[in-house]
Amino acid sequence: MNIRIPVSWLRDYLKTDAAAKTIANLLTAGGPSVENTTKHGEDYIFDIEVTTNRFDTLSVFGIAREANAILNMQGYKSNLNLPKGVSLNLEPDTSNRLILDVVIKNPNLCPRFTAIVLDNIKVKPSPAYIRNRLGSSGIRQINNIVDISNFVMLELGQPMHTFDFDKIIDSKMILRKSKEGEKITTLDSKIRKLPEGTIVIQDSKRLIDLCGIMGAENSRVTRRTKRVVLFVQSYNSQTIRKTTQKLAFRTEAASRFEKDIDLEGILPALSRAVYLLKQTANAKIASELVDIYPKKQTFQKISLDTKKLNKYLGIKFEQSLASQILTLLGFKVITLKPTRLNAQIPSWRARDIEGDIDLIEEIARVWGYHNLPSKLPEGQIPQTRDNELKEVIKLKTALKYLGLTEVITYSIVSKELLKLSQVSRKHAVELNNPLGDQWQFMRPSLIPSLLEVLAKNINVKKYLKIFEIARTYVNQNGDLPRQDLILTVVINNVNFSQIKGYVENILEILERGVKWQKLFKDSPLFDKDQSSQISISSQIVGTIGLLKRDLCDFFQVGSNVQAAQINLSSICSLPKITHAYKPIPKYPPVIEDISAIFSNATPIDEILGTIQKTSSLVKKIELIDIFTGRQIGESQKSATFRLTYQKSISTPTQEEVDIEKAKIITSLKKEFRARIRK
Amino acid sequence: MDKDAEKIIKEAQEKLENATDLESLDQIYIELFGKNSDLNKLTKKISNLSKEQRPKAGQAINKAKKRLEKLFEETKSKLITYHLSLITSVDVSAPGKKTEIGHLHLVSQAIEEIVEIFSKLGFFLQSYPEIDWDWYAFESLNMPKGHPARDEWETFFIKSPFHPKLGSQVLTPHTSNGQVREMQRLKKPPIRMINIARCYRRQIDVSHTPMFHQFEGLLIDKKVSIPDLKGTFDFFTANFFGPNRQTRLRPHHFRFTEPSFEVDITCDICEGIGCRMCKSGWLELGGAGMVHPKVLSAGNIDPNVYTGFAFGWGIERTISMKTKIPDIRLLYQSDIRFLEQF
Repeated sequence: MNIRIPVSWLRDYLKTDAAAKTIANLLTAGGPSVENTTKHGEDYIFDIEVTTNRFDTLSVFGIAREANAILNMQGYKSNLNLPKGVSLNLEPDTSNRLILDVVIKNPNLCPRFTAIVLDNIKVKPSPAYIRNRLGSSGIRQINNIVDISNFVMLELGQPMHTFDFDKIIDSKMILRKSKEGEKITTLDSKIRKLPEGTIVIQDSKRLIDLCGIMGAENSRVTRRTKRVVLFVQSYNSQTIRKTTQKLAFRTEAASRFEKDIDLEGILPALSRAVYLLKQTANAKIASELVDIYPKKQTFQKISLDTKKLNKYLGIKFEQSLASQILTLLGFKVITLKPTRLNAQIPSWRARDIEGDIDLIEEIARVWGYHNLPSKLPEGQIPQTRDNELKEVIKLKTALKYLGLTEVITYSIVSKELLKLSQVSRKHAVELNNPLGDQWQFMRPSLIPSLLEVLAKNINVKKYLKIFEIARTYVNQNGDLPRQDLILTVVINNVNFSQIKGYVENILEILERGVKWQKLFKDSPLFDKDQSSQISISSQIVGTIGLLKRDLCDFFQVGSNVQAAQINLSSICSLPKITHAYKPIPKYPPVIEDISAIFSNATPIDEILGTIQKTSSLVKKIELIDIFTGRQIGESQKSATFRLTYQKSISTPTQEEVDIEKAKIITSLKKEFRARIRK
Repeated sequence: MDKDAEKIIKEAQEKLENATDLESLDQIYIELFGKNSDLNKLTKKISNLSKEQRPKAGQAINKAKKRLEKLFEETKSKLITYHLSLITSVDVSAPGKKTEIGHLHLVSQAIEEIVEIFSKLGFFLQSYPEIDWDWYAFESLNMPKGHPARDEWETFFIKSPFHPKLGSQVLTPHTSNGQVREMQRLKKPPIRMINIARCYRRQIDVSHTPMFHQFEGLLIDKKVSIPDLKGTFDFFTANFFGPNRQTRLRPHHFRFTEPSFEVDITCDICEGIGCRMCKSGWLELGGAGMVHPKVLSAGNIDPNVYTGFAFGWGIERTISMKTKIPDIRLLYQSDIRFLEQF
């Protein structure tokens, strides 16, 4: 959350000679960040980011307190002045006593409730200094009564509200939870239907306040108002937060009440407002102070071992310096031992300071992180290894050099895209709180996303070779979804052997050997007859081949799109091929070809296997040619293999080669009914 | 005999005149001087001559041979000169015949660089579930249910049964779920881990996409201090952004670190003076801090013995700071004309 603070206002409490720019830089380095400084007439305005834990700095005085501590530690002279009137004697000024009857139904909703009735009010425009400051802080000016409550909110961080006392029926205020169906018309004239359990105040007949967020129109201060109830409290922050979320309505006051308010700051804020109302609206106190405060704030003490401080800071830090910093921030510090001190937490830090580690942060930041040295960590390097991602990074680079281009697409997909993968309901991973139609499911496959990319670019580039490596998600009934890392390659206008060539390259890069098999069942994505499954030691690790016609039609990317889907999580968990040394042959080989005609159904890798098995003299087999055609015969193919015969002790003689060749031919005839071509 | 030699020379002259390249010249050499050459045949004929005729014939052959050799050398050097002239006339400005090379996504390029830098410091690359239990994503990181800090993440939840101990399944809004998981994996410090993963938050605008990449670093050991964290960042920024950039730590608030910092780096556009692109000369790089004792305890590590630091920030952000891409959504629009630029 950001607040805008005019520097002239800051200087009301921060007495220093330091220039605005210096204050901004030092605050940023040691406290809340000044994100921007803008010139506003003669003044400067700081735009300050306040983190959620430091609601105490969401005010001009809070920032002054921080700046004062930091300036002092960074060698600048600075003093902190309290605003006037924060500890008035709040005794009634008039003999005509008014009584406000307050009932709190749920004390846990309102840790502290204070109110006071003021009489003799003159509603008019605020004095110039108030108007100017509200203006430069970005708050609209209304009249002196409303402006003062806004002024004190910005000054001290405590929101407050004023009611027209005469509009509160029977002078009664009952704080309670709202019932189902209750409505209230707020100051902005909007009728709001309240969620059950909202904190509200009613008089003896009707709701008069949507607590912590906005007052009701029915009890507002107008030009004719003579008497007001000034009303300052704190609420259960979580309840306020729930209400603002449910109503989707947040005011400046609400965003403060959503954090925890300093309970001890409530009375000074009320007192300060009374002081200003007396000054600018002729107000007279007309009632006793109402202060319902059942569970008084306790002041916790934290003990800090300065050895631990030194450990975090990496330097030896004087204990006296540490107590000086804490004191400047409002802690009450006692030195217990030369290496131990005790610090009592100030009320405005009660929620954010929990332990000694928080004290270390306070000391370190005010001292200045820039004053700490910088060094590389010492100590041992852990005995562990990189996980599979390291291998994946290498693979990506290799794919680039194979000519493929990487894309990154969203892992959350629409229902439409999910449907294309035909994942069963049981296996789909669905978001509980989707972001529109486009962000609804975790994808089980990358292929639809990559086809989308293809479709998008096809008019710019006719041939695309793309890949992505990302997790896919499969529901596993109660356990976390299966989240395997999948490599997906999509290439258009190539044939099966080309995509297979890429995948063979990929597996060589990954150093794993695989088996290829036709799909044995229908796939939602791949054409059954023109695709292959790949497996390593009987575990299926992927599918490659032609994508289905209807899938390609859906994206209008032509009918010839080849893809590969490879599970890298599975592959990386399997052992790599080992490369054992084999002596380099001393004698040249004999190389001869064999051509034969086989049935189309005979897989080439079986033929290769048979040749290998039949002859130990064959050291290398290459498929150099394969074709089909009418001259070969129906459902037949002709294949030519180039065989390398080699021995370690001499070059094989022609006789030896002929014997081996005859053996191979016999096997091919026997096992595949091959016809040998001359 | 003289006549024969004359004839050989004449024939050779013709052959040499017709030679167009050095390879055919090699062939001609064999024809002129080889075993089966006319000259050799002529030489063999000498033995058939009478004693008186031999010396004369020998001289004639020798003369012819020398003449042939000279002719051959002349042709050879002519051909070489000609070939050299051909070579120098190549248009070197014409494009070569290349093998097609693809492109790595900017995010992957950044990841590779980051991993490389941190592995020099002994950090190991690890990864953890992207869909993880609430306990790892929030609860163990000192962010109990109902805590306002949890609203900030705008987390996506998965439709799944509620686990009695670990809670709901969430799409991790940051990479910090890896912190306690790494403590559990190694059981005992030293820990030096980096984790790079896809993260998800329910927001979309110029600087946010619902999916983005974060990287996280975690170091736990005895005696780890804020100066160690500063040194690690200085090392990283010098290597990633170049030696002229400075970093600073600014106080901030995260539930899982204490003290917590925002890490800034000097703006390279204005070189630290302050400009439209930065905040008074500084750009926000990411969050960091000393690991909160409660987080160490959640990972079963004794906070009285060990301390550590952690940091995490968006990869897209570091990319846009380096490449000046105006809208990070460009990274995920998969326009090939964009992808092929890098």
